[in-house]
Amino acid sequence: MYQYDRKGPKRGIALYSYSAEYGITKNLEDCFEDMYDMGAHGMEILANTHIENYPYPSDAWIENWFRLLEKYEIIPVEYGHWIDSHVLGFRDLTTEESYEMLARDIRLANRLGFTVMRTKMPVISGELEPVKNWREIIKMALPLAEECNVRMCPEIHAPTNLSHKLVRDYVEFIEQTGTKYFGLNIDFSVFRNVFDANDKRRGGFTPSKPEEIIPLLPYIYCCHAKFNNMNDDFEETTIPYKEIVDILKEHQWDGYMVSEYEGADKYDPGYEVGQTLRKHHIMLKRYLGD
Amino acid sequence: MLEKEVIQSIGFRNIIENDEVVGFQFKVRLPYYRGIFLSQLRPGTLCVDDMRFEREDLVWNINGKDHTYEEMKSDMETHWAVTDPAVIKVRLKGGLKQGFHDLTLGFCFTSSYMPPIMQDALDPDKENVIFMPEFGHHVNKRRLLIV
Repeated sequence: MYQYDRKGPKRGIALYSYSAEYGITKNLEDCFEDMYDMGAHGMEILANTHIENYPYPSDAWIENWFRLLEKYEIIPVEYGHWIDSHVLGFRDLTTEESYEMLARDIRLANRLGFTVMRTKMPVISGELEPVKNWREIIKMALPLAEECNVRMCPEIHAPTNLSHKLVRDYVEFIEQTGTKYFGLNIDFSVFRNVFDANDKRRGGFTPSKPEEIIPLLPYIYCCHAKFNNMNDDFEETTIPYKEIVDILKEHQWDGYMVSEYEGADKYDPGYEVGQTLRKHHIMLKRYLGD
Repeated sequence: MLEKEVIQSIGFRNIIENDEVVGFQFKVRLPYYRGIFLSQLRPGTLCVDDMRFEREDLVWNINGKDHTYEEMKSDMETHWAVTDPAVIKVRLKGGLKQGFHDLTLGFCFTSSYMPPIMQDALDPDKENVIFMPEFGHHVNKRRLLIV
């Protein structure tokens, strides 16, 4: 398998970014080639989107997966998946059933070479609190995650910020269990400090300061390099990127920042998200000295 | 590769069994950024011109297998991928006549990471108050030809 030896923060891409074009004008190999053009070596997939015949891919598909990784010099970094406890409309899954769903993804992530999972928790309220039994589900999965060498990481995303109770709960769980197989994925939306006057996403949200990430670094196994607006000088205008990247470099955080473009304009006719991602990677290359 | 429209132009035809036209079928893609298990699907109503077909009247063929509305409610094993269109099959003696037809189909799907109160209010035959492109429209329309 292809190896990428760079230490510290590294560049990658979340294939989620291609969702408006995927299956319509772009296939999986097109995404790989776009990343290769950018020299972005770390990939995040969404299991339920990018794995053919998920959750039971064929051996031929897996063989092709490894061929693509080799050909385009890609490291399978993060496996995006969901604990879909509300998958049935008439009752919630039990802790054991939720675990079974999670265990299936842990095994598949490992089979495809991933070492981090973006584990999306099911929620129970408008404040996006996770299900009450999340600790039981995760605890049950820790031995398998260790055996498969994957780290389950819920994503911390605005309107949740880094000082939110949810982050404290996750950190407390990590400290109490002492586990290295459950951690955090920080989405850079938590640092967004510039909003349009009429942007509803601002409502009640207090942006985290870049330095608030420092105490969490030992628990962070991947970051979503969320970006909203790249200008033609290759600067992101809504998130203090330079400061964030400098902190990650200075603290020798060793992991991937996977670019994730969530702007609704990516669904506009003729929009090519690859060009937007390229702008972002010009910026990241400059900031990283890559 | 698929067409950008949810209702696909390719795949719209009458169904012939034993030399008899017994119904019609067409394909739809899933307008979401991830695939879903069938129990997440909330099928709605199909209108073709002035005819109305209830969700119980529609068969959803996914991964080459037919599924009824009742069967899908508890099927959390079969996965519908964003890259594989579903085939909607409808029994209608004699099928649809040659020429243009106006198709309107409602469907949506649940997501465990969205607030339950929003999930309970989902109506496949009505649009959400706020349109979010990555969840697509609930009601899709297209005018297509049968030959």
